[in-house]
Amino acid sequence: MNSKECQNLAWLDDPAVFRVGKLPPHSDHAWFADAREASGGRSSLAFSLNGTWQFCYSENPHARPADFYREDFDAGQFGALSVPGHIELAGYGHVHYLNKMYPWESRQFRRPAHVLSEKPHGCGSFADTPYNPVGSYRRTFDLPPAMAGLRVRLRFDGAEQAFFVWLNGHFIGYSEDSYTPAEFDLTPFLRSRENLLCVEIYKWSTAAFAEDQDYFRFFGIFRDVTLLALPAAHIEDLDLRPELHPDLTSGSLSVRLKSSGSLSGCAVKVTLYDETRQPIAEKTCALASETLVVFPELHGLKPWSHFSPSLYKLSAEIIGGDGNTLEYAVSSLGFRRIEISGKTVLLNGKRLRICGVNRHEWNGRTGRCLTFEDQLQDIAIFKRNHINAVRTSHYPNQSEWYRLCDQNGIYVMAETNLESHGSWQKLGETEPSWNIPGNSPIWETVVLDRAQNQYELLKNHPSILFWSLGNEAYAGTALAAMNRYYKEKNDGRLTHYEGVTRNRKYENEISDLESRMYASPAAAAKYLSEDPAKPFILCEYLHSMGNSTGGLKEYMELFDLSDAFVGGFIWDYIDKALIVPDNLTGQDCIRYGGDFDDRPSDYAYSADGLVFADRTEKPAMQEVRYFYERYET
Amino acid sequence: MNAMKLKLIFGDVTLGVSGESFHYIFSYQAGGMESLNILGKEWLYRPPRPAFWRAMTDNDRGASFYKTSGMWLLADSYPCCRSIALSVDGEQIPDFRAPQNNRFSGSEEADTVSITYLYDTLTFPPTTAEIRYTVHADGRVRIEAAYHGKAGLPQLPVFGVRFLFPTPAVRYRYSGLSGETYPDRMAGGQKGIYEIEGLPVTPYLVPQECGMHMETDWLEITRNATRKYRDADRREFCLRIVSDGSPFAFSCLPYTPQQMEFADHQEELPPVTRTVLTVCGGVRGVGGIDTWGSDVEPPYRLYGDKNIHFSFVIKHSEQEQL
Repeated sequence: MNSKECQNLAWLDDPAVFRVGKLPPHSDHAWFADAREASGGRSSLAFSLNGTWQFCYSENPHARPADFYREDFDAGQFGALSVPGHIELAGYGHVHYLNKMYPWESRQFRRPAHVLSEKPHGCGSFADTPYNPVGSYRRTFDLPPAMAGLRVRLRFDGAEQAFFVWLNGHFIGYSEDSYTPAEFDLTPFLRSRENLLCVEIYKWSTAAFAEDQDYFRFFGIFRDVTLLALPAAHIEDLDLRPELHPDLTSGSLSVRLKSSGSLSGCAVKVTLYDETRQPIAEKTCALASETLVVFPELHGLKPWSHFSPSLYKLSAEIIGGDGNTLEYAVSSLGFRRIEISGKTVLLNGKRLRICGVNRHEWNGRTGRCLTFEDQLQDIAIFKRNHINAVRTSHYPNQSEWYRLCDQNGIYVMAETNLESHGSWQKLGETEPSWNIPGNSPIWETVVLDRAQNQYELLKNHPSILFWSLGNEAYAGTALAAMNRYYKEKNDGRLTHYEGVTRNRKYENEISDLESRMYASPAAAAKYLSEDPAKPFILCEYLHSMGNSTGGLKEYMELFDLSDAFVGGFIWDYIDKALIVPDNLTGQDCIRYGGDFDDRPSDYAYSADGLVFADRTEKPAMQEVRYFYERYET
Repeated sequence: MNAMKLKLIFGDVTLGVSGESFHYIFSYQAGGMESLNILGKEWLYRPPRPAFWRAMTDNDRGASFYKTSGMWLLADSYPCCRSIALSVDGEQIPDFRAPQNNRFSGSEEADTVSITYLYDTLTFPPTTAEIRYTVHADGRVRIEAAYHGKAGLPQLPVFGVRFLFPTPAVRYRYSGLSGETYPDRMAGGQKGIYEIEGLPVTPYLVPQECGMHMETDWLEITRNATRKYRDADRREFCLRIVSDGSPFAFSCLPYTPQQMEFADHQEELPPVTRTVLTVCGGVRGVGGIDTWGSDVEPPYRLYGDKNIHFSFVIKHSEQEQL
């Protein structure tokens, strides 16, 4: 950690600092002590730290209890907060909905560093400011006996928006990128009992410029917190490359394993199981820090698709020199082919038709803190209404969601956590004078980190057909670098980015698809009829705010007009509104922007769903069901 | 009295039309049919009126539809009856009002009576609309409504006939399309007979136009309460609306568009006290391209310079087993 061994609030103001002591991203495979444990699905090597934490809210960095992480700190004045959850929904600070405006609009003048030549360092500090709320979290834990003597990590699946971590008084690290896991090594400072874990989380940092999503603006630890133990030898990353040949029954699989720990004398047994869980291929070889296992010829494969989501399973079992299993890692995978033929997107040799929705993670009572049941219900609603695809607007979702999409044949456009429309769309006009990431090499590192966090985490999910660079961030060299990053992975997936249509200078470098939002059927037909340069997709269409969703027929007819039409994602799946007790009556009411004395506001524009905030379907859903069933592939 | 004839009372203020089990009043001062009383149950709280407005949808608001078409809210809010015409058994009766009505005896009878209310619209330019009621001896009422299109008038949100029933319906049943449908959102509606309990308002976050049912063949509305003094009778009674050749659209809600127009949340809507039935001959689509400027697509608009004419029939519940 060197020079960064203690907390430095300047990192909040430095876009170039977004990970300190944070471990590199890796695949979201599961690991267990052995095969028997894996079959039960509960790993003795994972321990949840969800639950009630001690908590203190401060309105700005100066007001925070700066030494709260010390073991001799008296936290008697701290309250309690449930983790995961949004701090605002626990009653602290302000609930505020905004679409494009940055959340400090009218309260503080800010410009990002490295964008305006006349303001090279930007202006408007996040560290030295009267308003930038801070959440100070504390909890203790005893190390689970099964983890004793092992390397132990701490993982936050989602924490918004910038945070510092301490264990037993020692600084552990700092992280930005609210929607991908942040992992830290706790091993050096861990003890068996009464470990003190402290997290200081900031509502904003320079990351806020990149996280200007159109939603309620929250902060806090809103996804799971988990302790993870690593066996003596551990597979850090599984990079699975299933290839399906044009005959759709034969193919190959290459498995690249990255391992850590005491690898000497260890072997890894890699086994591929078909969808009925029968082993169909197996190889054992010596385990190194990088190990490549290839199954060059596989036959009788069943392709993964919406109607037939055939999931294969891969296990990688580490066997120590004494013949004992050290670790049993598992991941799902699927065999499928994505191609562009002419201007037509093909999946497994057949034209792909996306009958999709955009989906924010949302629960009317808990915000972006979702349960597994919420996600299961969403999948059931998708299936019932023939929704075959989802765009994870506009950030990576919980890993569980991609697993559910794998299992249920839902095509995914996986979007990077990037939205900066407040930096270039003002009062409806394109005005990119201080756009981020723009052409800034510094901001390029920020967005590349986000791309890498998403890619490495989710790369093995067959449901993901598209990598989306983000949403409404305009276009420049930084977006072009993101596109290159995803393309260089050479994983067959297509890149997607709509913002390049706002700055066509980069259209040869950005996005495999011509993507538009809210194009009228006539405008879409015009592009499709005039020798389209790329396959055409509507990343957002049919804005379903209130009583809307009329005219789907005219969009669906585009499928018949041109093979270059890939389809689209309806905006959007669920009303982002809050079900809260009314202050005056105590009755549960449904509330939207502006209802919390939150100003400025974009009012009811957060609620554009095909389902209401309580997940009941709106009347328009029968129309979606009717047309999507006809065009579903 | 001939049971198969209508009995007519040419009053000074109203025309009374009755049969064995019904009594209707057509008012000269209230600007429309004032009473639709069947088997002792009153169905009208206020006279039916031409419907020109729907509570703006989010898309209507986003497209500033009100800027050009807002005058239809005024026209809808204040019906201005200009004239009334009457014909009996197909013959025009020009002189039915006082004092010419002194010539009648109180024993007048007819097979059919037709009364037409002509309304001026509070628009610029002004135009007219009419509602014609033709009563048959068995009590059936055929209602024809016409909008007289005029160049220079903006698009309409809706055109229909709006009824206010005195108490909330306990349910309604209809033969038509499933769910809430609009001209540009009805392909997914499945033909069938549907029964809706109560008067549900689709809980859109901001109250707005809702509950339209396109392509309806018939509708049966059931109530169980009246406004008669201390009437504790809760036995159900119903009214049927049937198509007159071509299907109609309707919404059956507890609120007028005006009540819904200015509420910001569902719980701000007033207590449910009535039934608001709007039978429509023209419905604007809801749109969907975006919520910040795009109009609904041309085929789903109601242009102000185009005439609209439609009709439907009110029947007593016992007149036809549906």
